[in-house]
Formats: sequence, C-alpha cells, structure tokens
Amino acid sequence: MENLLELKNVVKIFTRANFAFSREKVIYALNDVSFSMDAEPKVLALVGESGSGKTTICKLILGLEEPTSGEILYKGVPLYRWLKENLKEYRREVQIIFQDPFETFNPFYRVDRILWTVIQKFNLARDNNEAKSKIEEGLEAVGLRAREILGRYPHQLSGGERQRFMLARAYILRPKLLVADEPVSMLDASLRAVFLDHLKEFKRNGISCLYITHDLNTAYYISDYILIIYAGKILERGPVEGVIRNPLHPYTKMLINSIPIPDPNKKWSDKVNIDIAQLQKVSGRETVDGCVFYNRCDYAMERCKDNIPPMKRVGEQEVSCFLY
Amino acid sequence: MDTILEIQDLKVYFRTIFGDAKSLDGASLRVYEREVLGIAGESGCGKSTLVEGTLKLVKPPGYIHSGKVLYNGRNLLELDDEEFRKIRWKELSYIPQGSMNSLNPVIKIEEQMIDGIISHIDISYPDAKEIALEALSDVGLPSDVAQMFPHELSGGMRQRVCIAMSICLRPKIIFADEPVTALDVVMQKLNLQTIGELKERFGVTVVMVAHDMAWHAEVADRIAIMYAGKIVEIGTTSDIFGKPLHPYTKGLLDAVPSLERRFSKSIPGIAPSPLSWPSGCRFHPRCSYKMGVCEEIDPPLIEIEKDHFVACHIYGGR
Amino acid sequence: MRIFKSSPKFTVGVIIISILIVIALLEPTINNHRLGGHSSTEIGLYETSLPPSKEHPFGTDAYGRDVFSLILTGLKYSLLIGFIAGGLATLIAVVLATTAGYKGGWLDAFITTVSNAILIIPSWPILAIIVLFVRKVDLFFLSLILAFFSWAGSSRQIKPQIASLKERPYVELARVTAFSDIEIMFKEILPNFLPYIFVGFSYAVTGTMMAETALRLVGLGPADIPSLGQILNWALYAGALAQGHYFLVLTPIVILILLFVSINLINVGLDEVYNPRLKQITGV
Repeated sequence: MENLLELKNVVKIFTRANFAFSREKVIYALNDVSFSMDAEPKVLALVGESGSGKTTICKLILGLEEPTSGEILYKGVPLYRWLKENLKEYRREVQIIFQDPFETFNPFYRVDRILWTVIQKFNLARDNNEAKSKIEEGLEAVGLRAREILGRYPHQLSGGERQRFMLARAYILRPKLLVADEPVSMLDASLRAVFLDHLKEFKRNGISCLYITHDLNTAYYISDYILIIYAGKILERGPVEGVIRNPLHPYTKMLINSIPIPDPNKKWSDKVNIDIAQLQKVSGRETVDGCVFYNRCDYAMERCKDNIPPMKRVGEQEVSCFLY
Repeated sequence: MDTILEIQDLKVYFRTIFGDAKSLDGASLRVYEREVLGIAGESGCGKSTLVEGTLKLVKPPGYIHSGKVLYNGRNLLELDDEEFRKIRWKELSYIPQGSMNSLNPVIKIEEQMIDGIISHIDISYPDAKEIALEALSDVGLPSDVAQMFPHELSGGMRQRVCIAMSICLRPKIIFADEPVTALDVVMQKLNLQTIGELKERFGVTVVMVAHDMAWHAEVADRIAIMYAGKIVEIGTTSDIFGKPLHPYTKGLLDAVPSLERRFSKSIPGIAPSPLSWPSGCRFHPRCSYKMGVCEEIDPPLIEIEKDHFVACHIYGGR
Repeated sequence: MRIFKSSPKFTVGVIIISILIVIALLEPTINNHRLGGHSSTEIGLYETSLPPSKEHPFGTDAYGRDVFSLILTGLKYSLLIGFIAGGLATLIAVVLATTAGYKGGWLDAFITTVSNAILIIPSWPILAIIVLFVRKVDLFFLSLILAFFSWAGSSRQIKPQIASLKERPYVELARVTAFSDIEIMFKEILPNFLPYIFVGFSYAVTGTMMAETALRLVGLGPADIPSLGQILNWALYAGALAQGHYFLVLTPIVILILLFVSINLINVGLDEVYNPRLKQITGV
C-alpha cells in the first residue's frame, strides 16, 4: 500500500527584499526535508521552535503555498495534480486545525455556518435533517452540547469551545489526514488533555494526524513517531519513546533539558548562557553550508561547519549529526 | 518573613451590558519580602486582573470596586494618579503580558529605556543612559543591544529587555504577567532563570502570574492558586506540589502533561463565567468532593498549617 | 444602538441628515401642494423679487420663482446626485479594489495603474470638458461621470486593507473548505469590511456633491437638474446678493454645509466608537 503522505527533498525559499540596500535576502525556510506517513493511522509529531519551518510545511501540505523544489505526494500522486484535477477530493481528505482559536472564525457569521458550509461543499448530507443530525453528532463527539453552541457568535464561545468546534468540523469531514498546527498552545493546561484525547480517538477512527508543535510535553503525550526540525532541516526522527528517553541529537537534548518539570524537587540543574547567535531570530538559514545547528551546538566540530551531516540510523532512530 | 505588600479583599469589576462581570471578587494576599510569589490559575480566573488592580492600572470598562492594597503603611488605592505614578516603576514595577510586542519599533532600545527612566525620575540624560546600560548588563545582555531596534531581536531577547527595563530603578517589587509565554522553550528557560535570580541579585520581590505550573515549580517560593476570581489556596511550592489541599489544585496538577508520564486527567466541566459565578464555593459544580454546604456557603481562606492556606469546606473552619 | 448613546457626534449627524432626507422625500408632496402642479423652476409663476411673507417664506427671486420651493427641489437633486454618484463610485471602488487586493498579480497591477492614472490626471478639467461637450446630460449620466472620477481615491485606501484581511486564518479556512475566490472575496472578506465601505460611501457622497456644486458654480452642468449648486449659480449670475435676495444665496450654502458637516459627524462619531483610543487623544 502506498504511503499516505510523502515529502521528498522539499525545499522552500522565500526571498525578502532588503529595503536599505535593495539586495534580496534568500531564506531557506525548508532545506531538503523528507519524511512520510504510511497508510496506517498514526500521529506524527513535528517538533520545532518558531522559525524552524514547521508552519511552512503545514502550508505546503495544504496546498496554500508551493514548494520551490522537491515533491509532495499524497497517496502516491503529486500534490499539484490533486490541486489541479481533483481539488475537492483533496480538500475533503486533508484538513487542518489552526493554532489560533480566535482568528479562525469569521466574526461576521454565527459559528453554525462553518459546519453547514462543510456539509454543503462536500455533499455530506442528502437533506437538512440529515445535516442537522450530523452536526449534532459531530458536536457531541467532541464534548460540546449543541444547544449551547449553535446559534452563537464566535466571541460568545470560549477558546476551548472554539478549538473543539474545529475538531467537530474535522469529525464531520472525516479526512484521512488532519494537520494540526499548534492546536493547544492557546488553551489552558486543563483543556489541553481533553483536546488531545479527542485527537487520539480520531486516530482510532482512522484519521491520521500530523501534529505540529514546539511543545515536547504534548507531543510526547499524543504521538507515535516524532520528527525534530530546526532551521528548515530535520535533525532527528524516530519512535517517540526512543527519541524522548534516548535523545541523540544535541538539539534534541537541549530541548528536553529546557522543559521545566512540574516538580519542585526536579529543578533545572544547569544555567543557560546567552550568546550572540541567539540575538538574531532563529529563522531559516541564508546559506546551506554545514550543519544548521553549528552556531548553537556544544559539540561542534570543524567538519560541522562546512559539511551537512547525512541521516544516520542508530537503532530505531535516525539522526543527522557527525557525532554518529 | 516580613510582609512587604498586603492585598485585602480586592474586587475589580467590569461593566457590561449584561451587568457587572466580577472578574476579581475578593482576593486577599500577603507578599513577603524577597520572595518569588507565583500566582497560578487558568484564563479567566482573575490573576491578571489582580495585578492590574493592585497597580491601579485597570482600564474602563473595568473599575476597582473595593478593597485595599497596603504598602509602606499606606493604602495605595487611595493615592491619586500623580502620587501613584511616582511609586510605579520606582518601587513597584510591572512587566505586562506580551510586553515584548509593545516595544516601539522605530525607536532604539536604549532610547526607549531612557525615555522611561526620565519620565519617572528627575535625572539627566547621561545618568539615565548609564542606568539603562547597567540594567541591560544586569540581565546579561551584551551592550550592543542598546543600539538595536526591537525587530532586530528575537522575542526572547525583547522580553529580556523588558525585564531589564523593570529593574532599572531598582524597585522593591516586580510584577510579571506571563513573562515567558509565547517564547521558544530554550528562551523560556533562559528568561525564567533570570527572573528567578532577580531575588538573589537585587533583593527584589517578584510576583509572577503564570498559568503553567511547571514554571512555578522552577522559580517560585510560594504559590497562590486562583479560581473564579478568588484565591483558593496559598502555600510554599513544595507544599502545593507535594500536599495540594484544594480539589482544584489537585485537578490542575493532574491535568498537566509532562515528559515524566504519558497520562493526564482533565478537570470535568467548564470554567464558569464572571457574569454569574456559581453560588457558595465556586468550584462546586466541578468538584468530586462536593458536599451539601459547598453549594451554599463560600468557604473563607484559612490557614490549615503554617503558611498553607486553603478555602475549602473539607478542611472545616467556617 | 449603543452607538447613539456613546457618541453625540454620531447622533447629531444622523439627526441632521435624516431631517434633510425626509424633507427631500417630501419635496414632491410639499411642492405639489404649494405650487398647484407647477414645477418650482418655472419662470414667472409669481411676481418677481417679493420679500419674505407668509405665502413665500423666503420670498421670490428675479425670475418670479418661489425661493422656498426652489430650494427644496435643489436639496432633493443634490442629495440624489450625491447618493447615486457616491453609490456608484463606492460600488466600482469596492469591486475593483477587492479583486485587485485579493487576486494580486497582474490584475492588481492593472487596476492599480488605472486608478493611479485617474488620480494623477487632473480630473476636474476633464470632467468640465465632458460636461461641456456632451449634448444631453441626464441625472444618471452626470452621476456616472462624477463617480468615474471619484472611485480611484477610495480604491487606493481599500485595496491594502483587503490585502491584509486576505491573510487572516478564517480566509485560509475558507480556502481549505474549497471556497472559490469569488466566494471568499464576497462572503468572507467584504462583510467584515462593511464599516469601511460605509465610511468610503459617505466620503464619496460628500465628494461627488461638492464636485457637482463646483461644476455648477462655473456654469457647467445640465440646467434642467436644479441642484443646490445650480441654484447658487443662477442666483450669483443674476446678482442676487446685490438685489437683497439673501435667502436665495445663503440657504443653499447653509444646506450644503449642513449636508457636509452631518455626514462628517457620522463618520467621526463612528470612528470614535470603533476606535476608542481616538477619544482619549482628542479628549472629547
């Protein structure tokens, strides 16, 4: 069976005009990124800081932007063909949950409209009655009460309700792949678990999820497989238990080390130092020489500066680092 | 420990067309000298409002309904705006939520800091500049930063600048509202550590508002848990994590996913609305230990053991 | 409705313009009653240059026309021209700016170039020339050409706002729900834009009204459409001030000022309600 989703050597370059000198700056938002998700429903976590390229991957997969080079395949067929010849079907099968529960709602309309348009656009019901019952079913599945939610305007719902509403929309659509872009970062701690539990349930119902986040805690909670991305490159990948318990890449180690543990007996033991490189925004690299993590790596060697380390398999994980 | 600031039954309401939203409905708290006090709770519980009320920064349609804030023997809420301005920043300083995004993009960092200093104390420009540069180095920022524009720095660095601004005039208390939210993990650690160190290095008291319990675990000495506009538990960090008393506190701690365990439990029910808080104890609709009295009487905050307060009928006291 | 309570400017503006509109709507009835079926522009209906009296509250002019009725008619036409021309201008501006802002690319470049051209080229002389040379200028045609020279300014303001609204997450959600571009433009973006469109419309109304008045004052424009500007022109041409026909000259001016001020009050009032910071700065 072919893979559900496959990214092959995807590169995305943004050019930014430099006003003062009218010289264009070339930013490699994504620098030779490859990964795949097979047909079996699972949750794949893509973990990276802001500027790492994770949002760009999101937009590319959804067809909102085009890759500069490389291929994106869905069910073995190139994405651009889906978008040209079979847009509706692709849109039906690949959906998204956005990060911001406030801005995804058009403030002009009541929230019901989002669900009705989905049903209409994709012909999910034969008549109004069937549509209504589908809507109620969807809301119930995510723990929302239809009569408390329907007929309201977005500002009348809480952030948690709004995010779950988006889940209801996904539930009604039954996509094959759900791309979730930081879906819980704007929710309170006690709501996150609820939301993520629903995503887990979706997996049991056959919906795969690409979970994009900067938060290792929630990634650990929900995913089967994890990819660590930094400055447009994937540095480490593997089954989630392996990567968390036995991180290989210095960056992964740094990430895990930086997470505060909610236990006053287990505080951070070391102190982070600031250095100039951190002053600049961590955005895509301007050049492709060498390892992208060179500037911040405690283990940096000479060869890391000019050579890109290839992906090496270590047990069940793969890592891009000259230490291995 | 000596008390440096005391908040007594502070109430801050917001006028709406549906009536008053009682966002902060009677909070009482003592802040001790040279401690890091964490204020925890989820969105809507009133923690930001508590700080805004204390610093008289409540904007309409909000207003301070009643309560006292005792500092240096005076009730700060009785001071007029001019007098309060003198205290703000010099003795009580504030890092508001999202402040890293409210730096003026067209003015250099140094200038912004100097502007702030000069507007609060009578001092010459060169002296103000010296203070600004010293503050930057106090938080470990290299001196080049002074000459940069905000957009040239990452979010984390800008937040550090805000921390630097808050200690410029060596205040007694710094109020920080969600100081490291929206930063990357590594930056969060960096900035949190700096905030935690302010106490040692400058003898300043820090009151940190944050919903993430893990941050409090890292830097706070004591934590106050808020729910529905009131404080429901106060205790030392080890007490709160080790012996949480209030059912909400327990629920909060269980709900946080971490790398230590792959499981987490959520608190059933939905957060109530400040337009109509539940009767009696506000947590009763969601509490698994609910008793009859909980629906009728709002439990007061009482000291159960040394320095550990809780507002819950399970622990008796009327 | 809270708008009326929180902004006295808005309320005053609405009151004034509502009164004027109601008067204009009642004009046919009033004038029918007062003139017994004759048109207010008919010459020689009454004695010339009569002073104000109970029968002629504003007196009569040098051509024997009742000034009060004449001005009512003028108000009606000025409002009509303003609203039709303003409406057309706004419609054109919105459609073009939205298309340009959302689609981008060559369509954007094309529309922007055209609107810039209209802005740069001195439109008033061209307007004057057109009116001078076209034989029969009716109300609609007059409004059309006024609108043509008026849409470019609004369009230039609207376009960048649309372009930024395009980036909003709910627009992305619509794209991901297989909405077509036109659906997105008109169902997702424009409804949120209505306040700006309204303001644009009101500026277009005042703008075209003033442009039309300016044309009249130099003697251009169809004589059979007696707008307030036209009445002023007749009056000045016939030396009304010198002859003491104060009402004939001052009333149109006062009404034009009222129209202008009331619409601006509405705009400023709305702006203050939706941009409360403005209130603090202006100290009102």
